[in-house]
Amino acid sequence: MSFLSPLFLIGALAAAVPIVLHLLKREPEPRVKFAAVALLRHAPVERTSTRRLRQIVLLALRVAALVLLAIAFAQPFVPLAATASRRATVIALDTSFSLSAPGRFARAQRLAREAVAQAPATDDVGVVTFADRAELVTPPSADRGLAIAAIDAAAPGFGGTRYLAAVNVAGRALGTRAGTIVVVTDLQEGGWDAGDHASVPAAAHVEVRDVGALPENLAVVGLRSERDREVVTIRNDSPRTRAVAVRLSVDGRPAGERSVSVDAHASADAVFGGITGSEAVAVIDDREGLQADNSRYALLNRSSRVAVLAVTATGDLDRDAFYVHQALATGDAGGGSLEVAGIAGGQLGGWPNERVSAYSAVLLLSTRGLDRRGRDVLASYAASGGGLLIAAGPDVDGDVAADVAGAGIKLHLVAPEERRNSDSQSLAPGDVRHPIFQPFGPATGSFGLVRFTRTARLSASGCQTLAQFTSGEAAVIDCGIGDGRLIVIASDLNNRWNDFPLHATFLPFLHETVRYLSNAHVKSGEYLVGEVPSGVTPAPGIVTIPATATARPRRAAINVDPAESEPARLSVDEFGSAIARLKEAGVAEARNVEQRRESSQHFWQYALAAMMVALAVEGVVARRTI
Amino acid sequence: MPRQDREERAVQEVQDRTRAFLDPAVIARLGTLELKAKTIVEGLLSGLHRSPFKGFSVEFAEYRQYIRGDDLSTIDWKVFARSDRYYIKKFEEETNLNCHVLIDVSGSMAYRSRELSKFEYAACLAASLGYLMTRQRDGVGLMAFDDRIVSAVPASTRPGHLKNLLVALTQLQPGSRTDVAKPFRQVAEALTRRGMIIVISDLLDDPEAVVRGLKLFHHRGSDVLVFHVLDPDEIDFPFDRATRFEDFETAEEVMAVPDLVRAHYQKAIGDLIERYRRELGGAGIDYQLLNTKQPIETALLAYLYTRARAS
Repeated sequence: MSFLSPLFLIGALAAAVPIVLHLLKREPEPRVKFAAVALLRHAPVERTSTRRLRQIVLLALRVAALVLLAIAFAQPFVPLAATASRRATVIALDTSFSLSAPGRFARAQRLAREAVAQAPATDDVGVVTFADRAELVTPPSADRGLAIAAIDAAAPGFGGTRYLAAVNVAGRALGTRAGTIVVVTDLQEGGWDAGDHASVPAAAHVEVRDVGALPENLAVVGLRSERDREVVTIRNDSPRTRAVAVRLSVDGRPAGERSVSVDAHASADAVFGGITGSEAVAVIDDREGLQADNSRYALLNRSSRVAVLAVTATGDLDRDAFYVHQALATGDAGGGSLEVAGIAGGQLGGWPNERVSAYSAVLLLSTRGLDRRGRDVLASYAASGGGLLIAAGPDVDGDVAADVAGAGIKLHLVAPEERRNSDSQSLAPGDVRHPIFQPFGPATGSFGLVRFTRTARLSASGCQTLAQFTSGEAAVIDCGIGDGRLIVIASDLNNRWNDFPLHATFLPFLHETVRYLSNAHVKSGEYLVGEVPSGVTPAPGIVTIPATATARPRRAAINVDPAESEPARLSVDEFGSAIARLKEAGVAEARNVEQRRESSQHFWQYALAAMMVALAVEGVVARRTI
Repeated sequence: MPRQDREERAVQEVQDRTRAFLDPAVIARLGTLELKAKTIVEGLLSGLHRSPFKGFSVEFAEYRQYIRGDDLSTIDWKVFARSDRYYIKKFEEETNLNCHVLIDVSGSMAYRSRELSKFEYAACLAASLGYLMTRQRDGVGLMAFDDRIVSAVPASTRPGHLKNLLVALTQLQPGSRTDVAKPFRQVAEALTRRGMIIVISDLLDDPEAVVRGLKLFHHRGSDVLVFHVLDPDEIDFPFDRATRFEDFETAEEVMAVPDLVRAHYQKAIGDLIERYRRELGGAGIDYQLLNTKQPIETALLAYLYTRARAS
């Protein structure tokens, strides 16, 4: 038993008060001279022995009440078994797919078993396996057979290396006691992300057992559609040029094979044309290298048509959204032609979700007539991976737009006041690296020529501000909604509150925005193993994502993280210096562990309840005694 | 209807007809025992002028026409023969009745929860009885007892005897243990002529010994009247906190939680009272339970009933 606030135990000294009172007031009962005592003899009077017992019980109850109160304030908790006084050694075994090359994981297991054998005899030994996530397989215990069995049962998976999770879990397994964390890994440089902040106990010593550098490896790092062809990218992480056969299967049927030669430490593409189908997998044969990166899955999207749905007041685009319609009807977005359809807000509620999801992007230009059902259709579309643009013009109501964006974003749109021309503002991109503004390059200054006479006041939580007005207020924001994206512009796109459609930047801006939103729609079908939604097995392949409250079931391609195949490594010293920096957080982490442990047990509530019971019993006994 | 019930109903009737009796708390504030006795008796007698109790004495006072409720034994049949009307004779006549008042001075009589302890109440009653008897020219004597006879004043009708009686009462103090067997036997052996024995005690002794001793008096031909004096606390047991009860006479201590023992105690004291009432009544001994919060006049009326029967 430990205490989160042990100083409160000093309060238990108050238990001495009833003891002193008890000693000072030996005969507290009133004494009455009575004539008919003889008649009481046969009554159920309290015998001296019983009375003494009652007094002792009373004293015990009073002392217990005070002690329990002090204990409740001291916040007791039962520490994890690992936080006992014995030292411990925790083996953190890397099971990422970078260890899937022949013989590598066997070497890792051998190193781990050696670490168990070399652990001091007085140490408890536990095992943590880690890749994208870490799991405490065997808590520290004196039974080393359990640790050996856990190591033998481990196998490399498809996850990437994440040292943060590994060190945190191993540190928590140690608790506050002294010990050693032995990390058995191949020291992948990508294992530490920038800004990672792991915590280990202050008394923990961290050792690294190096499995060794990656072997020569060929990896399929890309499979994408480009117009009417499929492109497979192969990376060669070896010091020599290698030739490899790339096989492509679509919808379970072989679709072709290409031989490519890949220079040392370089990439090469294998191109497949005339492919039909939707679910593709590209495979190479690289028996010496990593196995998990020999294949890559993708949902093919070769359609040259990018369909955009514009929601306006009447659905008549030439009347409600003339400039948007003309801009999107010209040119292409991402290599495909654009098709723009219009719909009145009042009609959208009658559309099934599937019909809306056929569009690559939806432009919400008016909320007139957009009923609850229509808002839910748009919200569901965005959450399930759709791209949504809201142009906060005169036909857009802030409350309706907030409903569409959902409670997670807290979108706040306030209709503008009338501005005189002298008060007009211009727009300045804040993040020129964002895909919408990146193509403009040095020409982003051209946005400064656009005059905005009226702008809505725009704010939202968790969104990135892409551009600002000269007043400093947000002009364009980018938000994530579920698997989709939301772009909000704080003015209209129909030459009413600004002259943006009359400027040369309008058309490319609109095209880039639609392309960006369309990509969100396409990318919603791709996941890395470590990022799969709940309910989906974290293994490469093409799977069906189960339906959620806001999204229908859909197919998705799951691949290993290509960064895991990169051969760049940390040195042991670099790894150690990172751990040394994290060591200082060990005490705080131990404290956090204790707080979590205490808050999960809530023993103080039991102590308080026991005190109340003791006081209640004391009241009853006292009434029958003195 | 049993005689005792009849008397109690008569006493109640008197209380209804006469003024309210003096509260013992008022009596307690009066100065001397003589003053207390005089106040009680004179007050009682002034009320009795309008009551059927007139005539307990034997000195003829007057004739009065019979009215319903009068004792048939008081009808003068000679006058009826002469006048064909019912008249009753009213007396105020000297008597040779000797009365002995036995007052308990054991330690338990010292208990008080109100202004008057049981002993003070008993002494006041004894003084009042002495005053009343002296006024009616009955001989009255006094004996105080605990486990022996502590003090004795022989019965007499001499002028100034009341003073001796009151002085003796004033000098009494409750103190020792109760054991009625021996003193009752001594008194019974000392009785030379029929008379009246009045016992004033809390009777917190062996009930069998008490009843046996009182029967001795009765067997000797004396009328016996027992005043069982108890404090309200001894009847109601009103204590509320756990208490260490110490016996007045034996210093025995008993720890008790009143809430737990009250019912048992009340049953025990009720059984004791009922036993005395039943066994003494069965032996022809008048028994009167007195609560120290009751007016002393109640006891005097009980005496007057017994006295009337004795004469």
